[in-house]
Amino acid sequence: MSVVGPPLTRRVLVHVFLRSLFLQASWNPQGMQNLGLAYALYPALERLYPDKQALETAVRRHLVFFNTHPYVAAAIVGGVLYHEQRIARGEESPERVVAFKAALMGPLAALGDGFFWLSLKPATGAVCAALVPLLAAWAAVLFLILYNLVHLTLRARLYLLGLSLGDRLVEAVARANLPTRGAKLRAVAAACAGGLAAWLAVSFGDNAGGRFAPLLSAGCLALGVVSYLLVARQVPNYVVLYLAAGLACAAGAFL
Amino acid sequence: MNVGWTLVALAGVWGGLVAVERKAFLQAMFSRPLVAATAMGLLLNDVPSGLFIGMLLELFHLGTANLGASLPDNDTLSATGTSAAAATMAVATGAGSTPALWSLSILLFVGLARVGLLVDRVLERYSARLARKALASAEAGQLTRAMRQNLWGMWPHFALFGMITAACALAGFFLGPLLERLPLPVLRGLAWAYPAMASVAASIAARGSHARRAPMYAGLGAGAVTLAVLLFTLKERL
Repeated sequence: MSVVGPPLTRRVLVHVFLRSLFLQASWNPQGMQNLGLAYALYPALERLYPDKQALETAVRRHLVFFNTHPYVAAAIVGGVLYHEQRIARGEESPERVVAFKAALMGPLAALGDGFFWLSLKPATGAVCAALVPLLAAWAAVLFLILYNLVHLTLRARLYLLGLSLGDRLVEAVARANLPTRGAKLRAVAAACAGGLAAWLAVSFGDNAGGRFAPLLSAGCLALGVVSYLLVARQVPNYVVLYLAAGLACAAGAFL
Repeated sequence: MNVGWTLVALAGVWGGLVAVERKAFLQAMFSRPLVAATAMGLLLNDVPSGLFIGMLLELFHLGTANLGASLPDNDTLSATGTSAAAATMAVATGAGSTPALWSLSILLFVGLARVGLLVDRVLERYSARLARKALASAEAGQLTRAMRQNLWGMWPHFALFGMITAACALAGFFLGPLLERLPLPVLRGLAWAYPAMASVAASIAARGSHARRAPMYAGLGAGAVTLAVLLFTLKERL
C-alpha cells in the first residue's frame, strides 16, 4: 500500500474545477477529452498520491479515452475525485473509478447535448435575437447573462454533486428533469424565430423598400415560408440563403 | 486607400480569443455569432454592422451543434470575419453602416464557416499529436510535461483564426471603394437582400430549433407579430 496523502482542501477542489474549464483544450479524435481530464485532476492526484509511482499510475488511468459533454463533465470530475479519495485511502479498487467514468460519460453526454446544445443555446439565441429590435447591442449582453446563469450554476452544482455523492449523482441529475425542460426551451426557440422572421420582413421591408415596401415585406414573408419548406426537404442552408439574396437583389435592381 | 492597421490587429485578437473560447476553454458563448459579431462591431467602432450581422448569423447557425465527435460549421469564424469586413468596409467608404454593406459582407464571407470547419479538422490532427506526446511523457514519468501538453492545444486556434479574421478586416478596406462604385440599382438590390436573408435565416432557425412542433410554434410566433404590427399600423393611421 502506498503512502496516503492528506485530504483534498477547498483550494485544491477549486483549482480542479477551474482547470476543468480547459477540458477540451486539446480535444483529439483518439482520446477525445482524455488529456483535458487528466490535466483537470492533476492537482488533486498530486496531493492524494505523494508517492511518485502511485501518482504516475493514477495519472495514466485518466489518460485513456474519455468523452462527454464539456459542462456535465463537471459531475464526472467531481465523482472521480470522490472515488480517487477512497482509492487513496484503500477503501476501493482503482477499477471502480474507471468503471464510474465509462458508465456515466455516454448518458451524461446525451443529457448535456440535448439540454445545453440543442435546447438552451438555440432558445437563448432566438430569444435574444428577437430582442435586438428592442435592446439593440444589450441583447448580446442579455444572451451572455441568461445563458451563463444556467450554465455556470449547473456546472458548479454538478461538480459538487459528483464530489459529495459519487455514483449516486445519477439520481440527483435525473431529478433535475432536463429533457422536459429542454423540450419547452426548444418550443420557445421556434416561436421566437417565427416571430422575428415576421418582424424582419415587415420592418426592414418597410425601411428598405420605399414605395415597394408592401411588396418587399410580403415577399420576405413568403421567402421565409418557402425557405422553411426547402430546408425541411434537405436543401442546404447556404443554397437557400444565396437564392433568397439573389431574388431580392434582382427585384431591388429591376423594379 | 488608408488601411487602419490598429483595427486589423484588434479584429485579429478578438477573432483569436473567441476561437479559443468556442471549444478549448470555458464555452460561455462569447463565441456565438450574436455576441462575437456585436463585440467586433464595438471594437471596430461600428456596432450596427456587428449587431445586425450577428443577429442574422445567430439565426442562420442556430441549429448547429458540436455533438460527440462531429464537427459543425465554424459559426464563430463566419461571424467575426463577416462583421470585421463589414466594419472596415464602412470605415473605407466613410458613408457609415448600411443594409447594402451588411448584405455584401454576408454574401462574401458567410462561407468562412466552412473554411473554419476545415481548419478545425487540421487542428484536431495537431491535438492528436499533442495527446501522443503527453502519453509518452507520462510513460517516461514526466508528468508535469505531460499535463502541459493540454494547454498547447489552444494556441493554434488563437493564431490561425486570429489571422483569418484579421485578413477579413484587411479585405474590408479594399472592398469598401469597390462598393462605392456599384451602380445604384445594385446597391438597392443589396439593401433589399438583407431583410430577405434575415427572414430566411429566421426560418432556418425555426427549423434548427429542434422543437417537435417547430412549424406550429414558428407560425404562432410569426402570426402574433404580424397581427401586432398590423394593429399598430392601423392605430397610427386612425
